[in-house]
Amino acid sequence: MAKVYNWQLGREIDYPYEVERPEKQFAMIFDTNKCISCQTCTVACKTTWTQGRGQEFMFWNNVETKPYGYYPLGWDVNILERLGVQEMKGPVYDGKTLFDAAPTGEIILGYLPDDRDYAHPNIGEDDSTGVMPQGAHLQMPHMQWMFYLPRICNHCTYAACLSACPRQSIYKRREDGIVLLDQSRCRGYRECVKACPYKKVYFNTQTKVSEKCIGCYPAVEGGRQTQCTTSCIGKIRIQGFLGAPDKPDADNPLDYLVFIKKVALPLYPQFGLEPNTYYIPPVHVPPPYLRQMFGWGVEQAMEAYRRAHEDKKLLAAMTLFGATPEISHYFRVDGDSVVGYDAKQAEIARVPLREPAVVRELYDIKNKVYRTNIT
Amino acid sequence: MIMRALVLAAAALVACAAPALAQTPITAVRVPGAGPIADPGAAVWKDTRPTKVAMLAQTVTLPNLAEPAVKELTVRAVHNGGWIAFLVEWKDATMSDRLMVDSFGDQVAVQLPIDAKATAPSPMMGNPGGRVNIMQWRAALQHDIDKGAPSIKELYPNAWTDVYPDEVMSSTDAKPYAGALGIENPVSRGVASPVLDQMAEGWGSMTVKPDQHALGKGVWKDGAWRVVITRPMVSDDVNAPRLVAGLRTNVAFAVWDGGHREVGARKAWSPWIPLVIQGAAAKDAR
Repeated sequence: MAKVYNWQLGREIDYPYEVERPEKQFAMIFDTNKCISCQTCTVACKTTWTQGRGQEFMFWNNVETKPYGYYPLGWDVNILERLGVQEMKGPVYDGKTLFDAAPTGEIILGYLPDDRDYAHPNIGEDDSTGVMPQGAHLQMPHMQWMFYLPRICNHCTYAACLSACPRQSIYKRREDGIVLLDQSRCRGYRECVKACPYKKVYFNTQTKVSEKCIGCYPAVEGGRQTQCTTSCIGKIRIQGFLGAPDKPDADNPLDYLVFIKKVALPLYPQFGLEPNTYYIPPVHVPPPYLRQMFGWGVEQAMEAYRRAHEDKKLLAAMTLFGATPEISHYFRVDGDSVVGYDAKQAEIARVPLREPAVVRELYDIKNKVYRTNIT
Repeated sequence: MIMRALVLAAAALVACAAPALAQTPITAVRVPGAGPIADPGAAVWKDTRPTKVAMLAQTVTLPNLAEPAVKELTVRAVHNGGWIAFLVEWKDATMSDRLMVDSFGDQVAVQLPIDAKATAPSPMMGNPGGRVNIMQWRAALQHDIDKGAPSIKELYPNAWTDVYPDEVMSSTDAKPYAGALGIENPVSRGVASPVLDQMAEGWGSMTVKPDQHALGKGVWKDGAWRVVITRPMVSDDVNAPRLVAGLRTNVAFAVWDGGHREVGARKAWSPWIPLVIQGAAAKDAR
């Protein structure tokens, strides 16, 4: 085992390989407060990549309802239960990672789902934690709650799938950190399916090998964001690149939101993989649940998000979500607008920080009629 | 990245390179006839003496398996001057020939050093510079040949889909939607033989050869597999062993019980066992 630094846990962890960080890291941020689980992202991904035989129930992108939705069934509670209760008393994680918890003879603690666990992609959809009593009114956080969790492969810095493959069929690209599974090299052992705690590698019964999200690399190489991002009607996502965690670039919207403002947090960072999709936590959900899911700093992230209207640059970075199909490598505030720039600093998007609002008079003099909808 | 596998493979080479002297040699008995000997029910097997091969847990490299299901193989070997064949038998109460996410197939492999004259390579899939030929029979391939590859409808009777790309596109246009099948991954494509003819030079290096010479057949009956793996003794493939009558070389085996979720490195293996290819003159020596 090599010692590698996991910035999300604030400490070194054991990993089977020495790892040099990629030149830039493919990353995505989801604003869970905006997701309505319309599954347009899921359909966009499916129609682009997984229409073939053997891919029927394979969702490289899915949206599940938390706390009772899972795809595959119980993926997170199953691995959390196996990992056991761990300590998290501060920004430096005291507990075990999945690599630390590897049983004898294994590279990592994992489990192989049952075939039928993939049979219910929308189980728990829209299920809340409970029923609101008669006469109750909502308070923050909500007494009964649910939220939507969109998921893709995390293109982890310390990928479990990659570490578990005995054939080195999985590799992480130096140029953008996308984790790919070589379809010509895989022999279908399913060690990756077992190892990935997020269960984002799937076995294809017709090709007899495993498959996973490819980070839409043909689009990304051409400077465009992934299909799941550009198709998002709620504009809840932004996809781009993270730089080095110790040298964040305040002009890069992803660096700014993740490293500097810390408003977007990784999914189950305690697993130790340094996952690279980040979530703005849902502000109505009780923090203890969110701490387990997104790690240390949840309350701070929620507070920063609530106050985003007071922070022009934070608002600007978040306004870039869904503003352009192209990848914003840089951004800047220009008056009351945010401007996104591509890798060559050319302008690709300009969006007002506040939508111009027009309030019409209640009475329409010309038509001599009252307006019932005046906004 | 550090090639962990290579470092461990070198260690295994040192530990395991010498053939196990206690093991009874396997003699490939000279039998009459010509061509492949691929039938486990063939008459040629009646004249052979079985050799018991004790199987070990693969506990050297990760991931591993402390308690493999199969502890012993019964091996017979024959040759007819053109083809060599191994009949491998073992007890397996569950016949596993279906591949689904949580279903693994039974498999058995015969390993031969490619260069019989050199020092024996690591019995654990060879080592850099020490190449081995690994002929792997797979129950799932046998199923595909005997009964056809299982369709989605056979695996999931209630599965439903609008349309597949290959139903509405030309085969060329539909290829990108076929994953590993579209790029001819040898473990994905339809095969003519249930035995993959492969080579390796250490863990993680197993490669299906472009030219497939190995044939065979497996039959499961009454809680036991009887599998024949056969190959031409001599070919123009530089990565195939050259086997001639009178040669003394080594052979090793690996076996996987799919019902026990054994796959890849999670297997039972044997060290090298001396293999004697009986010459014509030595026919009576058996």
